[in-house]
Amino acid sequence: METFLQQFPIVFQSLNIGFLQTLRLFSVTLLGAIPLGLIIMFGSMSRFKPLSVLTNLFVWVIRGTPLMIQLLIIYYFPGLVLHINFWGKGESGRFAASAVAFIINYACYFSEIYRGGIQSIPVGQREAGQVLGMTGSQIFFRVILLQVIKRIVPPMGNEIITLVKDTALARIIALQEIIWAGTAFLKGSQGISGQVWPLFFTAIYYLVFSGMLTLLLGWVEKKMDYFRG
Amino acid sequence: MAILEVNHIQKSFGGTAVLKDISFSLERGQVLSIIGSSGSGKTTLLRCLNFLETAESGTIRVNGKTLFDGENQKHLSDSEIRQNRLHFGLVFQSFNLFPQYTVLENVMLAPKLLKKAPVAQIEEQARSLIEQVGLSNRIGNYPCQLSGGQQQRVAIARALALEPDILCFDEPTSALDPELTGEVLRVIRGLKSADRTIIIVTHEMEFAKSISDRVIFMAEGIIEEEGTPEQVFGNPQSAKTRQFLSSSLESF
Repeated sequence: METFLQQFPIVFQSLNIGFLQTLRLFSVTLLGAIPLGLIIMFGSMSRFKPLSVLTNLFVWVIRGTPLMIQLLIIYYFPGLVLHINFWGKGESGRFAASAVAFIINYACYFSEIYRGGIQSIPVGQREAGQVLGMTGSQIFFRVILLQVIKRIVPPMGNEIITLVKDTALARIIALQEIIWAGTAFLKGSQGISGQVWPLFFTAIYYLVFSGMLTLLLGWVEKKMDYFRG
Repeated sequence: MAILEVNHIQKSFGGTAVLKDISFSLERGQVLSIIGSSGSGKTTLLRCLNFLETAESGTIRVNGKTLFDGENQKHLSDSEIRQNRLHFGLVFQSFNLFPQYTVLENVMLAPKLLKKAPVAQIEEQARSLIEQVGLSNRIGNYPCQLSGGQQQRVAIARALALEPDILCFDEPTSALDPELTGEVLRVIRGLKSADRTIIIVTHEMEFAKSISDRVIFMAEGIIEEEGTPEQVFGNPQSAKTRQFLSSSLESF
């Protein structure tokens, strides 16, 4: 008990630093992937055939291969094959590479959710806008968008909760996120080694954070309860 | 002068001719009912008038201005198509109200986007239209809080807000329970006036008979019979019309 009390502050601080990195990757991924997903969706739904074929091919590759491989390739390819130090040194380089890999990967999933959302809106909504003389973008932003958002909150929530835990994959290129911080005490760090309990503690961080996200998503859903569509 | 002249409109979907050479004209202030069985092309005709479908040939003229010419249709920009659409209003079978907006917002949205007038004036007009369809007490409700008949009345107010030359109804009561059709038909009847031209695609024969100045019976993509309600309902010349009328007026 006494050793635990001695170890706890050290572990706690270390996990906090790791979790901060986890949070950073999580937020940057969302900030990048939500708009990029929209662009990819427009590409995949384009009436210009070559663009839609190319975009769908891209989405297929990204969704069809493990995020872990994408991380490894994105991080190591520039240095080992092209011999350029693209990502820069140290933790900031690893973070940049992780962010790019995560944003691309999640944007592809998001684009498919967006597409499903848009296609689920009855065509009558668009036609009603058309006969009222609205432009294409007015119809999209004033009529369709909010209905799409309402419909995609649940599937997006699923992806967002998954993302919380997927950030741990960045450990494969040694990004110092929370699991990296937790496992350090298995091997030995700051005078603590062979300890499993920091990992349980790590799990609690995930649990609490995804719990908060679940509440937030529930609140958003409730906010849009006032209409059915 | 005719407010609407439709000449030789043709439209096919994937090789199936849906409209084969449709021509008719309409005077200002007239109510035209289009009747006929499902698949006869009534709805497609209405959609061609509203530019939701593009006819393959023929012409559409409103107030002497050619809006559509099948021979010469290449140079229409998006904004020209939108301008052309504004000559027509359309009330859909399935209402198609915007669910995230209140009754008032539904009616005001398009005039606001088109900047037809100052917002205060648009609101005033919207309120009076909503009163006209009898829904002043529902002005702040969302569509999901309204019955089908009430939703359709809002849709009528929404179409009227743009003051179209010709107001079209596409089977406005077909999606409604029988006890709700009456309130919608009453509103439509109340719209009839000297300067409002109306086209109604409907299966409500009694209604068509009593409200119309002219009736068109369509069958298999052509106008099989056309005339006053007395002519078409009272003394149909075509065997197809007689057969259609006797089966739709059949009582059990």
